[in-house]
Amino acid sequence: MKLISNPVYRREIRVSSRSFRLALVLLTFNGILALVALLNMYSMLSQVRATAEIQYDSFLDLYMFVAVLEFVMLIFIMPAITAGSISGERERQTLDLMLSTRLTPTQIVLGKLMSSLSTMVLLIVSSFPILALVFVYGGVTMRDMGLLLICYGAAALFSGSLGVFCSALFRKSTLSTVVAYGVMGMIVIGTYGINQLALLFSRMPGEAYLVTTGAGGGGGSSGGFLYLLLLNPTATFVMTMLRLAGREASRGKVTQWFGTHEEGFLSQNWVSCSVVLQIVMAVALIWMAVRAVRPGKKVR
Amino acid sequence: MLKIRNLRKIYGNYHALDGLDMDIEDGSLYGFVGPNGAGKTTTIKIISGLLLPDGGSVEIDGIDALAQPHCLKEKIGYVPDYFGVYDNLKVWEYMEFFAACYGIEGLKARKRLRILLEQVGLGDKLEFYVDGLSRGMKQRLCLARALLHEPALLVMDEPAAGLDPRTRLEFRETVRELNEQGMTILLSSHLLTDLTELCTDVGIIDAGKMLLAGSVEEIIEKIHTSKPVIITVHNNLQAALGLLKEHPLVRSISVKEQEILVQFAGSGKQESRLLTELVQAGVEVRGFMREPGSLEAVFMQLTNHEEERVVLSYEADFESGL
Repeated sequence: MKLISNPVYRREIRVSSRSFRLALVLLTFNGILALVALLNMYSMLSQVRATAEIQYDSFLDLYMFVAVLEFVMLIFIMPAITAGSISGERERQTLDLMLSTRLTPTQIVLGKLMSSLSTMVLLIVSSFPILALVFVYGGVTMRDMGLLLICYGAAALFSGSLGVFCSALFRKSTLSTVVAYGVMGMIVIGTYGINQLALLFSRMPGEAYLVTTGAGGGGGSSGGFLYLLLLNPTATFVMTMLRLAGREASRGKVTQWFGTHEEGFLSQNWVSCSVVLQIVMAVALIWMAVRAVRPGKKVR
Repeated sequence: MLKIRNLRKIYGNYHALDGLDMDIEDGSLYGFVGPNGAGKTTTIKIISGLLLPDGGSVEIDGIDALAQPHCLKEKIGYVPDYFGVYDNLKVWEYMEFFAACYGIEGLKARKRLRILLEQVGLGDKLEFYVDGLSRGMKQRLCLARALLHEPALLVMDEPAAGLDPRTRLEFRETVRELNEQGMTILLSSHLLTDLTELCTDVGIIDAGKMLLAGSVEEIIEKIHTSKPVIITVHNNLQAALGLLKEHPLVRSISVKEQEILVQFAGSGKQESRLLTELVQAGVEVRGFMREPGSLEAVFMQLTNHEEERVVLSYEADFESGL
């Protein structure tokens, strides 16, 4: 299916490009990034003038700051944009009208998701000039940038699909937004929390219980619970950033998180496996959203 | 055009449709009437492909619409009882969007939407935002949207709900024009006077079942015969009563002074024959009349569950008596 031939996508893009809100978001987002970046550069240049010493690390920190800000935005703005997509159509009573035409539920769901992703892509692309400041002094390769974009893409697809799924499942946009944020919070914070708890338990005298359930890895670690972090886009992003900062050897090794774990295929290919898993999850969520949108389905 | 057989839809324990049958002929304007919760919207949603039934069949032009839902969507234009508009789109953008939803693109779409907007009287509102249109205009825009793909059957669910009398009248005229151009229309409404004047056929639904269906004239004629004939005689009351008691189409007789109320199960022609017989028997008849039937009267009788049994048993008597 060609994206541009999807009427829902075309309408969404037309409406969003016309709205004042998008321009305001673009201005605010890039304004903050530019302000931070320029202040950072000014401070570094002042330091160079004063001490005649160039701290190349600072440019990398700037890059990482922008990257982190964009990632946080992806994770937390995508559900907000997408969680009202289908339920908004229900509230406007236009979903039935679309379903009474030749449009398929798949076209409706994909049109909605892709238009939200397009908005996010626009935000990221518009911030490239600020990210490019780091190329003034080097330190970040195109490969690193590519890896970061893949990481962004997977996270945006995953969080966006989650929002669309909740939107297809619930009648009210408010409820679907709350549920989408709740689930995202569970994935981002919950998986860390579970690992932290498992690590704490493994270091307590009653460790034996966790060892028998497979959670304890012996010697104090979160055991098998570590692999729950594969679902967590934040963990993957942190791994990518640590690799970029050259700290992979120390904190960058996932096997060193939450105690010491044994090396294996998953830990050696953590980013790739996590990205693939997020894409698989996104596809599953889209499929479920399509099923929920089909005519005659009961909506909560 | 449309043939529905034994259509069933159950929500939990509630039977929204309980073996509904419906036939709509090509080119007819079919009025679909029933009290709230009778199953009208459920039927319309199934016809429009928005709801799956639990049983029964829906055929459009001989095609099993439930097995081939895409065929159904090609042949149906759906106008719901709400506007369903995007306020942040211009009128032409709204129409272009739905044209694309039906696979009509480019110049063809633009030509089609202009023709339709002219037809519904919105030709000069192309550049207006939908938000700025009045209720009547939004309803006409919805009608134009439903006609984009040149459907064989236009299905309208309470289209005049919430419109002022003038707008309703204009809307009714637009519907009439469409029907005169050969479009088959299914129109659900509570406004029985509108339906009487507008529709060629009517179906009355209650509790998920079709109680009565046929042409408006047929239905009114049927209910007409359910009303008593009031005969006022000047003299010879006994002779009149004797004749009436022996008459095979007389169901019951009650007398009040010189007035005889006769439950007469005959047509208009048989009524005049009865009058002739009375006169020939030497009865001086001063008044002979039956209150005319109306679609409202039919509706009230059929959907009043106390009276329903009476009417239905009467119908049975009527048919066996003839």
